[in-house]
Amino acid sequence: MSRRLAWKVLAPTFFVLVAGAGGPAQAQSSPEALDWLRKIYQATQDLSYTGTFVYQQGGHSETSRITRLADPHGNIEKLEVLDGVPREILRTDDAVRCYLPNSQTVKVDRRPGRRSFPAVLRGEISDLAANYTVTQGESRRIAGYECQAIVLTPKDNLRYGYRLWADAKTGMLLKALTFDDKGETVEQFTFTELTIGHVTRDKVKPWPTTRSWHVEDTDVKPANLEQQGWIIEANLPGFRKIVEVRTLHKSLPMEQVVYSDGLAAVSVFIEPVGQRDKPVQTGLANVGAINIFTREVANHLITVVGEAPATSVQRIAEAVKYVSPAEPRQSVSNPQSR
Amino acid sequence: MKAKISALMDGEFDEHELSDSLSALARDDEALHCWRIYHLIGDAMHDCCVVSKDFNTRLAERLAGEPTVLAPARAASRWERGRWLSLAAAAGVAAVSLVGWLEYAPRDAVAPAGPAAVTAQASPPAGPVVVPAKTRVPARIPLPSATNDYLLAHQAYSPRITLQGMAPYVRTVSDEAVGGANR
Repeated sequence: MSRRLAWKVLAPTFFVLVAGAGGPAQAQSSPEALDWLRKIYQATQDLSYTGTFVYQQGGHSETSRITRLADPHGNIEKLEVLDGVPREILRTDDAVRCYLPNSQTVKVDRRPGRRSFPAVLRGEISDLAANYTVTQGESRRIAGYECQAIVLTPKDNLRYGYRLWADAKTGMLLKALTFDDKGETVEQFTFTELTIGHVTRDKVKPWPTTRSWHVEDTDVKPANLEQQGWIIEANLPGFRKIVEVRTLHKSLPMEQVVYSDGLAAVSVFIEPVGQRDKPVQTGLANVGAINIFTREVANHLITVVGEAPATSVQRIAEAVKYVSPAEPRQSVSNPQSR
Repeated sequence: MKAKISALMDGEFDEHELSDSLSALARDDEALHCWRIYHLIGDAMHDCCVVSKDFNTRLAERLAGEPTVLAPARAASRWERGRWLSLAAAAGVAAVSLVGWLEYAPRDAVAPAGPAAVTAQASPPAGPVVVPAKTRVPARIPLPSATNDYLLAHQAYSPRITLQGMAPYVRTVSDEAVGGANR
């Protein structure tokens, strides 16, 4: 007995020494749990459904209705916010339209090539295991569906953790919870009612707009920020650059670089200072798990938006540098060299 | 004066004498120098090494994070009690040397094995790597007026959307919430 006790006392110390010598020891992701993630991805692409879900973050909760039509001629997905100020977002294969009836505005976000994006990601599920330990949790009944829990525990404090509950039969995601390094809930989505299948095209009609509505369209093209003198030395382990584009929004240029670890994404936006209508404050803000960090570099506004802890978003923001390029381009016509 | 400083350091003065001596220290540079030298001598005699800033606070925090060994209570023989004591001492020494090692371990390396080990100790068998934050605490600001534009552009590329459908777009905020009070 005393030997066992001695082991109990010394084991943690021994473990620390071994871990310190051989790198961080981590629990293994289970192949079954990774298969569950594949099943969830597949369900998200294949299923038609309609349901009501509650979004909770920081003491607020908001009810929304979501309807998806999976159709070989084009998928359509519609999200209607039911509480408070009405808002509606409609996603088709080529664009996302955000309808804001109070200001009679529709924001149109067109991204060519996005259609192929999910296909790329499906193959990357095993990459997720590099940044998260993916395990199966307990099963639980949610909105009438028997659900399997899948837990993605981050391997460091640069990203959040996720607890997902998927319908055991179809793989449809019924609940998603984001938690921080203290294990506290950052935000969660929970279906309160869901019907799988039986969706007709008239259920995903866009919000009726009139001529008086204001349309804000965007034009997106590939870009190369380095050629323009922008260097982002964001040494954030596990996050890879996935896309680099230039958006013309209300005829104003905005550069965007996106980093992702396979699940969480962080975008860096760079735009000339003074092109926004209102004066800009620098610092940190958030919407649920999305942190937004704003700073100024070389007469440009740097806004980093990411579903990641504030310190990660801030680290990427602080890694943005400007060095005068050999041939300055128009979008950086008035930078101050650092 | 030197005798007074010595007595002051030993805490032998009453309130009245204390305030007199302290004001003397404030006036007299030589006395102040003497005060510092005496402390340095005292530290050297007590074997205090020079440590980094806020060492005490951080050491206390890390020790507070040490695991509590939970074992059912039972009558232990004197031999076992002695053994427990030595084991506890060994564990304590290990913990202190670990903390000391971490204190002097290079901090610039990203995700070094050291901090990982600390977390592993706090929650065995394994825990997340704690990457030391090198960032300053930023000011909290209201949501930027262009928040919806950023969110629309950002979420277009978020792998989360391919996992969850467009539900995360619900974070897109109402016009009223933007540029005004934070939600």
